[in-house]
Amino acid sequence: MNKIDLTFTVNGGVRTVATKPHRTLLNVLREDLDLISVKEGCSQGDCGACVVIMDGFAVNSCLVLAPQAQGSEIITLEGLAQNGELHPLQKMFIEKWAFQCGYCTPGILMSCYALLLHNPVPTPDEVKDAISGNLCRCTGYQAIIDAVMAAVAS
Amino acid sequence: MIKGSELGTSIIGKNATAIGGLEIIKGQARYCADLKIPGTLIGKLLYSKSPSAQVTKLDVSHARNLPGVAAVLTYKDVPGKNSYLYVYDDQPLLVSDIVRYQGDIIAAVAAEDEDAALSALDAIEVEYELLPGVFDPVEAMKPDSPRVWPGKDNITAHIVEEHGDIRAGFDQADIIIDNTYTTQRVEHAFLETESALAYADHDGTLIVYSSTQSPHSDRKQIARALAIPENQVRVMVPFVGGAFGGKMEATIQIHAALLAYKTKRPVRIQRTREESILTHVKRHPMTIHYRTGATKEGLLTAVKFEVISDTGPYINSGEEVLGASITLGYGPYNVPNARAEGFLVLTNNPICGAMRGFGLPQVNFAYEQQMDELAERLGIDPVEIRLRNGMKSGSTLPAGVKVLDGRGMKGTIAEAMRLSKWKDRSLIARQPEAHLRRGRGVGCSLYSTGYGAGVPDSASASLDMAADGSVLLRSGAADMGQGVHTVLAQIAAEMLGVKVSSIKLVTPDTQVTPDAGPSVASRATYVSGNAVIKAALPIRKSLLEVAAQITGLDIDLLSLRDGYLFAEGEELHLTVAGLATKALEKGLQMHAEGYYSVVLPGDYPEDEDPNKTEPFTFATHVAQVIVDIETGDIQVEKYIAVHDPGKMINIGSGLGQIAGGIVQGQGYSLMEELAVEHGYTQNLSLESYLIPTSMDVPEMEIGFVEFPYKYGPMGAKGLGEIPTAPVNAAIANAVANAIGARVRHLPITPECVLDALDKQ
Repeated sequence: MNKIDLTFTVNGGVRTVATKPHRTLLNVLREDLDLISVKEGCSQGDCGACVVIMDGFAVNSCLVLAPQAQGSEIITLEGLAQNGELHPLQKMFIEKWAFQCGYCTPGILMSCYALLLHNPVPTPDEVKDAISGNLCRCTGYQAIIDAVMAAVAS
Repeated sequence: MIKGSELGTSIIGKNATAIGGLEIIKGQARYCADLKIPGTLIGKLLYSKSPSAQVTKLDVSHARNLPGVAAVLTYKDVPGKNSYLYVYDDQPLLVSDIVRYQGDIIAAVAAEDEDAALSALDAIEVEYELLPGVFDPVEAMKPDSPRVWPGKDNITAHIVEEHGDIRAGFDQADIIIDNTYTTQRVEHAFLETESALAYADHDGTLIVYSSTQSPHSDRKQIARALAIPENQVRVMVPFVGGAFGGKMEATIQIHAALLAYKTKRPVRIQRTREESILTHVKRHPMTIHYRTGATKEGLLTAVKFEVISDTGPYINSGEEVLGASITLGYGPYNVPNARAEGFLVLTNNPICGAMRGFGLPQVNFAYEQQMDELAERLGIDPVEIRLRNGMKSGSTLPAGVKVLDGRGMKGTIAEAMRLSKWKDRSLIARQPEAHLRRGRGVGCSLYSTGYGAGVPDSASASLDMAADGSVLLRSGAADMGQGVHTVLAQIAAEMLGVKVSSIKLVTPDTQVTPDAGPSVASRATYVSGNAVIKAALPIRKSLLEVAAQITGLDIDLLSLRDGYLFAEGEELHLTVAGLATKALEKGLQMHAEGYYSVVLPGDYPEDEDPNKTEPFTFATHVAQVIVDIETGDIQVEKYIAVHDPGKMINIGSGLGQIAGGIVQGQGYSLMEELAVEHGYTQNLSLESYLIPTSMDVPEMEIGFVEFPYKYGPMGAKGLGEIPTAPVNAAIANAVANAIGARVRHLPITPECVLDALDKQ
């Protein structure tokens, strides 16, 4: 299979990757660009561990074929902290113990970040809704919702 | 009752930041799959196509010759012992003759990329002659049933324990309640599937990065399979993406090691979600016949129960899980006359083993519904009947194990009653709509810390303090997210008088960190925490000796805290770093190994002998539900949980353990079931095997009461397992309270609810 050149913006920088077109955005981000925050949990859009921001919206990167990302703007958890300063979501996730094993955390943080892009002052129910596609087996979700609300308040 | 904040020092009982937390929230935490070595081969395993068959042909010659394929291994290529698993190692690494469940492994492939590895799997020629198989444990118990292991009884363990006079006990009873309960097979659904990366180091040492709860057991099993010395195998544990008992057993790490050993190349195996659900151990489904006798005052006179446990085709930890069900199946109650019988049955269903709660959640579902029904029939409040029968300090379980500190029974009930406003019946009296029914239920549990009375249980840890006061803490205890690393660092910091940030924890590495045993059985904080204390004592002594020399003060007046020296609470402007520098100059001991064994004789008064007592923890949960009597739908409206951790060393991780345990228990109660038909698992994805999402979670109120345990590190007991256990009972009792009918089958689906209403 011939490779295609995929050019897109990742965490503010323009990147070009030669990839076979049947690979997913998850594969390209993890394997070609070494963005390890993008986790693989199921590869079929059930768990949300691979959620990234694509053109302002949270997407399961395992369900995005690489060519679909052509010209798009992608943000992963690696791009959330600005100039070494943690995003309020990150600060509150640490403070509130909003993770345990941490495997689902990057995807959940990106879902929450996407929520705040569109709705800077969400209600707890809106936070629940925003992370409803992200499975977490450790925390029981409550600490995550508390952390997002604390980040909003700050 | 002592609240956490009153007991806390500057470190213990506080919300110390998670070790590894910064990496996690920055996305820099490296799990097995994130470790990369150039030239790594992709390993894939060939799983059985049938749950019960004789392998009549196994030809890998074509697969071996495909481009990009480095190795295709079968049982003939295993140099050492071709079997594994943690407790009883009866599962073949690579099957030679008979496949006994769908997750059995027939061949292991390593190839340059995934496509080549998958092509090799396709090219392996396997022919099967189907064997009858047995899929119902009750059928499997019959003498003429097909045998899972030829010539061997399918009842692989039969436990009978009788205490007191069971017949006389039932004769004394004014009321006897007899019921059968059934529980289902469930899946851990850790978010990181099984993963390992193996390669040979420059000196020939086999390095295996493993997503595991049991690094030293992994090392032993890998060495045995490869027939090489254990010191030639180095198991390292990076971040682990959840486990819940499912990574106590070795999964794919031995296969990865074998492929790396044979190919002399780095090999990675990472299971797909489908492979993960298909293969690793599940929670045992059990059928429980339960008979309870009591006086009209509600005092238990006799309890008799029988458990049939379907362990799948391999024993592994099945007998230990069943043993826990038998020991803990009377609940936290005084039972004067008791009889329990357990059958561990082999079938061709998916293999079962350790899962959070380890045999307790199943029996908890039964004994707590029995207590509620007893209360209902006698017209006694459900909480009152539990208090009348509840254990106290000095109580003994029917099996003879003594509860050294039982204050948590009353303590957790009292706090749960307060938080749930139990006595305020108006909270549940109002029905929101005509077709909705509100109800409230209680569930209590007790669970041991560690392996159980009399079972050898030990851990080692080491500490090194450098001249600048910074500390290396080495422990082989795996952290799968439960927070044991942070807790151990807090204990070390408290003991050495430094800040938690001064402690650098060396993550499990069998060539560097001492054996701490597996992170299972709610034992890691207790056993490794005590080992850390033992390691800290000689170093603290060195620091204080130096301090006494410098200040001229009596050593007993001196203490260390937050990096400074104090005399009777007054800071003396001497730093721990300064004392460490002097101690090292003087050649005093600043490195120490701590070894702690639970059953070491001699350290205890006779009536506190750890061979006859256990650090039991208690929990009381209250669920409030709304049931739709037209659809059978159950909504958990509010959930209160109170636990007795001895001492909560880290508030954040401790409360997190409870919250996460509740939601796992909620999934177990209401939605999760591995659907298996004739040995074939039907729901092999997270789309069809549903676990709770954020939308399913109730409003939770979590409390704890602290009764520091005499032998616990800083008073702590175990906390990991118990939060999942009482949930099914609290919810089932709430449902019964709401609709006036009982569901004795898990999960409590809308169909079960409608069925129970129909039979009313």
